[in-house]
Amino acid sequence: MTLTQQQARHASVSSAIPACAGIGLRSQHHRDALVSPVRTGWLEVHSENYFGQGGIPLRDLEAIRADYPISLHGVGMSLGSTDELDRQHLGQLQDLIQRIEPGLVSEHLSWSSFGGRYMNDLLPIPYTEETLVHLVASISQVQDYLGRQILIENPSSYLEYGFSSYSESEFLNELARRSGCGILLDVNNVYVSCVNHGWNALDYLYEIAADKVGEIHLAGHTVKKVGEQTMLIDTHNAPVSDAVWQLYQAAIQHLGSRPTLIEWDADLPAWQVLVAEATTADTYLEQAYAQAA
Amino acid sequence: MHRLHDLQRDFSRFVCQETQQLPLDIKANGLSVEQRLSIYRNNTRLGLTSALRDIYPVVNCLVGEAFFDWLAADYIKCYPLQTASLLTYGGHFAELIARFEAAQGLPYLADIARLEWLSHEAYHATDAQPLPLSKLARIDPTQYSQLAFRLHPSARFIASDYPIERIWASNQPDYQGQECIDLGAGGCRLLLYRPQWQVEIHYLATAEYQFLTLLGSGQALNQAVETVMSDHPDINIPLLLQQWLRKGLLTDFYLV
Repeated sequence: MTLTQQQARHASVSSAIPACAGIGLRSQHHRDALVSPVRTGWLEVHSENYFGQGGIPLRDLEAIRADYPISLHGVGMSLGSTDELDRQHLGQLQDLIQRIEPGLVSEHLSWSSFGGRYMNDLLPIPYTEETLVHLVASISQVQDYLGRQILIENPSSYLEYGFSSYSESEFLNELARRSGCGILLDVNNVYVSCVNHGWNALDYLYEIAADKVGEIHLAGHTVKKVGEQTMLIDTHNAPVSDAVWQLYQAAIQHLGSRPTLIEWDADLPAWQVLVAEATTADTYLEQAYAQAA
Repeated sequence: MHRLHDLQRDFSRFVCQETQQLPLDIKANGLSVEQRLSIYRNNTRLGLTSALRDIYPVVNCLVGEAFFDWLAADYIKCYPLQTASLLTYGGHFAELIARFEAAQGLPYLADIARLEWLSHEAYHATDAQPLPLSKLARIDPTQYSQLAFRLHPSARFIASDYPIERIWASNQPDYQGQECIDLGAGGCRLLLYRPQWQVEIHYLATAEYQFLTLLGSGQALNQAVETVMSDHPDINIPLLLQQWLRKGLLTDFYLV
């Protein structure tokens, strides 16, 4: 298909992601997204799941794009790694961007490869000046290559480095200021990391530069006992917890309305359950808007 | 960069289970550093194991989850993930199974894995339209000797000494039958391809298998015909060509 044909096909729906709730789309729900009368505001997919050459995944995503604005969320760019950026990966992402015309493109504040070996997880980085300089360079390289801004998501983490010299929120602000990237604030990740490290979640939230935040994520987590301690694990397999909904309300009061994504990746529920979670987020967004007005 | 580089080197070695030595300067904060790092090590192992299970559901069904976990653990060690995208991970699973001592009791297992990998590749292969007969009719007859065909990008061939298609089919989630498969019933030659969206599996006769794999390898038509005719003088080439043109296996031609 030529670019002009694609543009004609997508012309009916704008690419811009609206400041309302959306859903993280997994292949099991492609059909619901295409035919269900129960709709949501926008959809986000994991970019790498559509790095194939053709077939059903890309066919579906193009058809869904005709009905919904789509955001592309990457899990594999490994921006924090001291390895060179993978040019092939960047090229595949660029191809997908041209095909889908996403409203937002995002990645993670993490690393996942070393010496050419990938670990299929979002590993934590130390918050130092050295890492900052390195990440600003990688993010600039990606943004120059793609010709657009990307958003960077705060991780959920299970350990801290003794030699970090920035708090995570300071680090994100500084990264956004120096590289020109935006922030994708995952409120569940804020909560998970704060509980795991004994940080204050509201302090974290209020420290984030509101004007840099382009999107919010919400998800469920799992409470796990490790030794004597309670650890929260970012499993994306459950409804958003009450504590995270509370933190979300504080977040949108501080930030204003932002596109808000419901993420659910494992033990997927029915489409209607995801839409109901998104509707809850929309209700909070409307309340915050009414209070601000 | 030294500190970040060394940290990632040591961290990745721990996560990939090459060492029990811990990277420096991680806060214990109420737990042991090892307990904290183990969360990442488990995530990586579980993530890759589940990616393999998604590609190899029939192998998983045949050996059970626990044995599959064992195979996967060995695979992850021998074949580290080399790209961020999981779509291309797992292509050597059949090789690993073939030399995995504890799997020798299921001699067909490696071929089942091969079949599942080819099906996975076919599922994600480039889309292509069938070659229109009208286009073929326009070829100058003097050029027939140079004619070669392009097969659908999803086309994959596999030959096995075992009835792997029947084993595969009887282990699908929607399988209703109660077939008893005789492992000694003989092997099969299969073509997998995706004419449009669903991957199809076709049985091929020996001559047909030889002919189509030769075409698929880029050999000119007349050369392929010559080779196959010498082994199988009875083969009806015009009929086969018509049939596979109609079924969308041939998507283009070129002159060699």
